[in-house]
Amino acid sequence: MYIKDLYAISPQKTHDLSFENGEWQVLNEYIYKAVEPSYQDLIPNAQLRRMGKAVRMGIGVSLPILGRNPKPDGIIFGTANGGLEDCIKFLNQIVEYNEGTLTPTNFVQSTPNALAGQVALLSENQGYSMTHVNGSLAFESALLDASLYFDEYHGEEKNLLVGAVEEISDYNYNIDRLGERFKEELVPNVDLLSSGTKGSYCGEGSAQFYLSNNPENSLAEFKAFKQSSYLSENEIGEFVKSFLDEQKLDTTSIDCLLLGKNGDVSTDSWYEQVEQLFSDKPKVYFKKSVGEYRTVSAFASYLAVRLLNGQAGYLMENGATEKPRTVLIYNHFDAVRHSLILLQK
Amino acid sequence: MTTNREELIVEFKEHLIKYLNLLDLTPADIQNDVPLFGEELGLDSIDSVELIVLLDREYGIKIKNPTEGRQILVDVNTIVDYIIANRTK
Amino acid sequence: MTEIVVTGMGAISSIGLTIAENLHSLKHEISGIKKAKHFKSHYSDSLVFGEIDQSDESLLNELGLEKGRGFTRTTLIAIKAFREAVANARLSPEDIASTRTAFISSSTVGGMCYTDDLYHDANMQGAPSEYVKHYEGSDHALQIVRLYGMKGITDVVNTACSSSANAIALGARLLETGKVDRVIAGGSDCLAKFTVNGFNSLRILSEEPCKPFDANREGLSLGEAAGYVVLERRADVSDTSKIQAVFSGFGICNDAFHPSATSDDARGPRMAMELALKRAKLKPEDIQYINAHGTGTPNNDVTESFAFSKLFDTVPHFSSTKSYVGHTLAAAGVLEAIYSIFSIQNREVYPSLRVEKPILEFPFRPTLNYTPGVAIRHVLSNSFGFGGNCTSLIFSACI
Repeated sequence: MYIKDLYAISPQKTHDLSFENGEWQVLNEYIYKAVEPSYQDLIPNAQLRRMGKAVRMGIGVSLPILGRNPKPDGIIFGTANGGLEDCIKFLNQIVEYNEGTLTPTNFVQSTPNALAGQVALLSENQGYSMTHVNGSLAFESALLDASLYFDEYHGEEKNLLVGAVEEISDYNYNIDRLGERFKEELVPNVDLLSSGTKGSYCGEGSAQFYLSNNPENSLAEFKAFKQSSYLSENEIGEFVKSFLDEQKLDTTSIDCLLLGKNGDVSTDSWYEQVEQLFSDKPKVYFKKSVGEYRTVSAFASYLAVRLLNGQAGYLMENGATEKPRTVLIYNHFDAVRHSLILLQK
Repeated sequence: MTTNREELIVEFKEHLIKYLNLLDLTPADIQNDVPLFGEELGLDSIDSVELIVLLDREYGIKIKNPTEGRQILVDVNTIVDYIIANRTK
Repeated sequence: MTEIVVTGMGAISSIGLTIAENLHSLKHEISGIKKAKHFKSHYSDSLVFGEIDQSDESLLNELGLEKGRGFTRTTLIAIKAFREAVANARLSPEDIASTRTAFISSSTVGGMCYTDDLYHDANMQGAPSEYVKHYEGSDHALQIVRLYGMKGITDVVNTACSSSANAIALGARLLETGKVDRVIAGGSDCLAKFTVNGFNSLRILSEEPCKPFDANREGLSLGEAAGYVVLERRADVSDTSKIQAVFSGFGICNDAFHPSATSDDARGPRMAMELALKRAKLKPEDIQYINAHGTGTPNNDVTESFAFSKLFDTVPHFSSTKSYVGHTLAAAGVLEAIYSIFSIQNREVYPSLRVEKPILEFPFRPTLNYTPGVAIRHVLSNSFGFGGNCTSLIFSACI
């Protein structure tokens, strides 16, 4: 699957490429909110007025990509929670008005497939449409879906819009805070990995890719990916090695490692197991930039493509390489669901 | 409670903007006799349900279904007349 | 093209706690839509529901699961249907756990089915509930992955009311492309204040049990269900006696018209059916029965009928089994797939119940009575959802 185009809205200034060019936002907040561009010229007011943040950010990323490329054959999204704020706003109405007369907009906007539906509507695309809600592997599931699509149309040029979105609202922040996923104390993102405490900070955003089975003028390739759930810490090394074996690669073939380390002392050791396999390689700890959220691997993939094209190199730690050619992403959520994504230029 | 028709029109338009989240509109931008569900404002069937909720919560008016609503929810004038005749709060 | 077959089925709904019970109710025109016993809501007395007649406690006991561990009703009914499906397909624990077995599920309300607990946690009103880590749409699937030690590909989709139809299609694609050797696909959705109030706010719930394709239909009835099918490549199945039907094709597209309504010209539904026929290499006249989406809303039934009128010279038997179980949202696609397979296996059509005056706009009418002795080679099963998602599946007799 070849990446022809991409765009992201994230807690860093990816919307105008300042982040890629070296402008890094120091964040000293519990919530890493996305830096959103103005949508005025992009989304008609009649639609914008109803959109929750997830749908708004998602459309804000989709429309620029769609504007620059031919109409894709399908639209595939991954999101763990979709428009959760609308969802809980509707829930609050249910409780506060005792199941009385309620406004439907929150309900309609809260369904995770609202984004794929809106993009199809605004871009008049009747093609393949799918929304994966596979928790912290939702983006990986969208990639799997896309790869099946290209397999099925082998020999026939096809294009897909594939991406992920996640929003943070006060409500899901509360839920995950009660679930002990966030730090109680404040440490700036630059020191995220040395905080020495449990939990992380919450981020949000949308990253999307225009994918094709035609390699011409592509920026990079999603070469392979693999998922697993409930691995033990001593199985993780083997998980990575067997993945590389399947790709006829070994640890020396990887030029740069992108790790989902998030500063949570109870689960960062999984990352350290993998880090040891690639001790001398440059590494990027992408959650220092955007925080933790369930489809953050889409942002990691976005960043990987930038790195493969000689951008954002300043983020590499443990030595830098001018222009990596092969990049591996390892991410997990709660140390329960694990994902590997391999990208190549 | 507003009893003056002119004041009620402004008040209703403010509710309308709030409930339907009509970005960038002020009461003065909404003409009293322009159909709400025409080209001008571009409202649709979900908005009609939102309007029914507005009438219930703000004026204590119960409209059972969107079909019944269609005769009432024509433009600002028809709605305000209906509010004056039927409000319970 | 690789032939995909159904080798196992499991279902729980308001008309039966097992596959056998569901079949019995369909044959005897027994509807499950009535006043709710277990579901507590402001609307428990004024509306009717297709409720599964088994309490959460009873489900926990039957499944041997501990209370207080965050098992939601969505998860409980999912586990029960999953268990029946894998037993029906005679899969061993090793088969289920294998890296070559994929699990594709779906849900719309997912882990957010206990609206009051979610309200409590989202607004931080005290100590966290047992569900605080189980609100995600994928939670039911993750629990099954954990319980069965599944090591293969897992996925959960949510395309509203077409969700589990899409899970089945996705499963078939994993088999066709050789990514896995067997797939367990389906979905689960339980009754929740969230969905009941959601559909109520859109004014599309019927006060009386729904009557799809009736001229005076007033809306849908909500139901709850879970269902799973086991899919395998026909060539891989050594014990051919477990083959129940062939999954011949699917069509997936977007109506791209409105967030919560179908286009007047039914372009999406029509295209989905056309794509399914094309993929199955069939013509419209090859279809003997359509298990319609048939929600009972004024909008759906007229646009779906319009699509039939455009696609078929002579519209075959069609009915909405939602008249038995209500709209079970994410589970509707797989439940109707299973009912479609029943129709093929037993050569019979289960009617649209409660139709007094068939829809006026078209000359054809749904099947109004239980009709045995119909030779059914191919069934088309439709599922359309909010967000414009349109999916049609085709199941065929095994020959």
